[in-house]
Amino acid sequence: MRTERKDQVVCIGAAAILAVFFLLSVFGPKAEYSYSERRMLAKLPIFSSSAVLSGRWMRAFEDYTVDQFPFREPLRRVKAWTAIHLFGRREYNGLYVWDGSCAAVEYPLAEEKLDWAVERFQLIRERYLNDQNRVFLSVVPDKNCFLAAESGHLALDYPALEQMMAKKAAFAQYISISDLLAKEDYYKTDPHWRQECITDVAERLASRMGASFEDEYQVHVLTENFYGAYYGQAALPMEPDSLRYVTGPAIEECRVYDWQEQKEGEVYDRKLGTGRDPYEFFLSGSRPLLTITKGQAGQTETAVTGEAAMPGAAERSAGQKGAAQGKRLVLFRDSFGSSIAPLLLGGYDQITLVDIRYIHPEVLGRFVDFTDCDVLFLYSTLVLNHSETLK
Amino acid sequence: MIFSSIVFLFYFLPLAAAAYFLAPRTLKNAVLLVGSLVFYAWGEPKYVGLMLLTVVFGYGFGRLIEKNRDNKRGRSYCIASVMVSLSFLLFFKYTDFLIENINVLCQRKLPLLELALPIGISFYTFQIISYTMDVYRGEAAQKRLLDLAAYIVMFPQLIAGPIVRYAQIQAELSKRTHSFTLAASGIRRFVFGLSKKLLLADPLGELCRLFLESGEKSVLFCWLYAIAVSLQLYFDFSGYSDMAIGLGRVFGFHFAENFRYPMMADSITDFWRRWHISLGQWFRDYVYIPLGGSRRGKARQIFNLLLVWSLTGLWHGAAWNFVVWGLFFALLLTAEKLWLKEWLKRHRILSHLYVLFFILVSFVIFNGTSLSQAFAQLGGLFGVGGLPLVSREAVYYLRSFGVILLLAAFGATPAPGALIAVLTRGSKSQKLVHLAEPLVLLALLLLGTAVLADGSFQPFLYFRF
Repeated sequence: MRTERKDQVVCIGAAAILAVFFLLSVFGPKAEYSYSERRMLAKLPIFSSSAVLSGRWMRAFEDYTVDQFPFREPLRRVKAWTAIHLFGRREYNGLYVWDGSCAAVEYPLAEEKLDWAVERFQLIRERYLNDQNRVFLSVVPDKNCFLAAESGHLALDYPALEQMMAKKAAFAQYISISDLLAKEDYYKTDPHWRQECITDVAERLASRMGASFEDEYQVHVLTENFYGAYYGQAALPMEPDSLRYVTGPAIEECRVYDWQEQKEGEVYDRKLGTGRDPYEFFLSGSRPLLTITKGQAGQTETAVTGEAAMPGAAERSAGQKGAAQGKRLVLFRDSFGSSIAPLLLGGYDQITLVDIRYIHPEVLGRFVDFTDCDVLFLYSTLVLNHSETLK
Repeated sequence: MIFSSIVFLFYFLPLAAAAYFLAPRTLKNAVLLVGSLVFYAWGEPKYVGLMLLTVVFGYGFGRLIEKNRDNKRGRSYCIASVMVSLSFLLFFKYTDFLIENINVLCQRKLPLLELALPIGISFYTFQIISYTMDVYRGEAAQKRLLDLAAYIVMFPQLIAGPIVRYAQIQAELSKRTHSFTLAASGIRRFVFGLSKKLLLADPLGELCRLFLESGEKSVLFCWLYAIAVSLQLYFDFSGYSDMAIGLGRVFGFHFAENFRYPMMADSITDFWRRWHISLGQWFRDYVYIPLGGSRRGKARQIFNLLLVWSLTGLWHGAAWNFVVWGLFFALLLTAEKLWLKEWLKRHRILSHLYVLFFILVSFVIFNGTSLSQAFAQLGGLFGVGGLPLVSREAVYYLRSFGVILLLAAFGATPAPGALIAVLTRGSKSQKLVHLAEPLVLLALLLLGTAVLADGSFQPFLYFRF
């Protein structure tokens, strides 16, 4: 190719690329939601003189152009592939794939975050608990703790973290579960543990809390094509997981009351299981306050009549709700708790799940009766090491 | 608006280029001016008026100076033009620095103004000063305000340089030619600059961030940081300059080179002939030489060097670490002029190592958020404070960023250019290179776009100056 011809090709090619992407950007289809990143995408900002003069409109428009850029998903994959395979980066967006499984490089250990988490637990203890309550604490190791040992990525010193938490939260009896877990107990494309693999963890927790454990479970497959949260974030090629769940007599006879939505439902939410984040199948995903009551199937009206929605709900204690007044557990938890809580139902008549990322501990007394109940703080390292999310 | 953004690449640039090339020759400067104002207003709507005001002042003073060049008033107008231009820069950039120092020295609590720094003010102020001073020295003033405004606010070089002198593009402002050859070389340069920024500078910036956030420092990690920050600054700023030069060519202008492999310098004097060339030349022509340069004896020369380099440091930012950074170079340059010049000439390898070492040190000072932080990081290079030699993090990040560091080190030398020159020698290989070039450019543009589409925004470092 002669130089002049080559220059023409470069110029015309560049002009064509700019023109095509411009036209596609302006006139192409727009998406509302990114399934891979699990977030709403930016919309064209509303034009106003004040927004323009302050620069807000331009910033919002730039977000919009990035979010709605044509072929964004394939381009994200190109970037991820290039970073890992061309530039030899050990991680991309803080994630890496090892042996087909994806993990976040959770590092370093932020001791001040642990302190904040313990401070919140201490507040709950001082405000609501007394010597009649038996208080337990357990920390769920993140997948990276296991994967990094093989891959050489940076990881938290999990034994040290456990020791710190046990020492800082000395008011709670610490239950270690790390020896029962391995990388295979977690989804490959998602940060969470697999419910069907943690029955031994549930048994350990139940036995240490002095509760019985029901070990007759059947495992069912919800989907063989579960692409978890890491799949989209990493933008790296990965095989899907199978999402399974277990059932047993205790689980089947339970009803779940959602204090925020003010409605009853089941332990497993089939609608959400086919939605944007199938892990929400377990106890309907992120919920500030849930009460699972055994033996409540078919008693919906009895359980919910007269309740107002949170916040500002009519103040009625979760402990007094419904018929169950036997052995009770209040589980302070993050999303890992959603899948293990059903497994603890063999030993408890009622389990109240509290997520203090979404409800302030100060208002809990309006909804939860802590009298004589067991209390378990069950948090993953992913939340403890970023405990600024705890209210 | 920055070059490395979706909105610039795929919204602004196609529209601006289409409007420019469709406009008749007589309207091209007007199109360029309007486009440049939109470009500037996108990121800084409230300071467009300020920029236009300084342009009008520059234009007015230029005309007055030209008319009165032969009498005393010409000199007065020239001084006034410099004072007016500098007053805007001093007010917006240095007032809070001054107040902070008064508060410390006099134990006062004067409130800070906390004004946002108008983007590019350091660059366009220097361009206007160079213009009016050149007119005073005998160059013709621009008769058309529109053409002068088009020169000063021209978007390729408006907000982060290079500092284009009016004399350099005066002829092209009124008459310039456009060709596929020039435009293709501009596109090539732009794409390489974009790649430098997105594929090298930004990942190196990430390594710097990881170091700064790390609680597990080590001597190795400190050296990694020093190397990363030096290469990041080089690729960030030279990448921007490449994009500016490339865009200039697309629109028919020839901007002078701003970087010429500075890491290959064999003395600090040589380094400053290769690094931010337009700034070094500006200070030489408008401060150092008017002060007497080296013509008034050694003592005066040393004083001039200290003054010029203090100002060079301050130009980069209103903070003491920039002043120390400038004085650090003043000391090195003085030492070279007085003692080291001949020694460096005799020791080729050692001279390169000497330059690289002091460049790394200088950029650690430059990048410090405070003097104490910068000195702590410098101490870390030598294990001061009981730092371990190696840490787990340092080894991990060395492995994670090893390829990028090697690519950056290779890219900072003339080797890639030399390699292409060797490949294009034979007629067959030349054909292959010609065939490959558009594909390589396409691949780089695609990669750059992929980086941008994932939304990892990192502003150019030189935007803060």
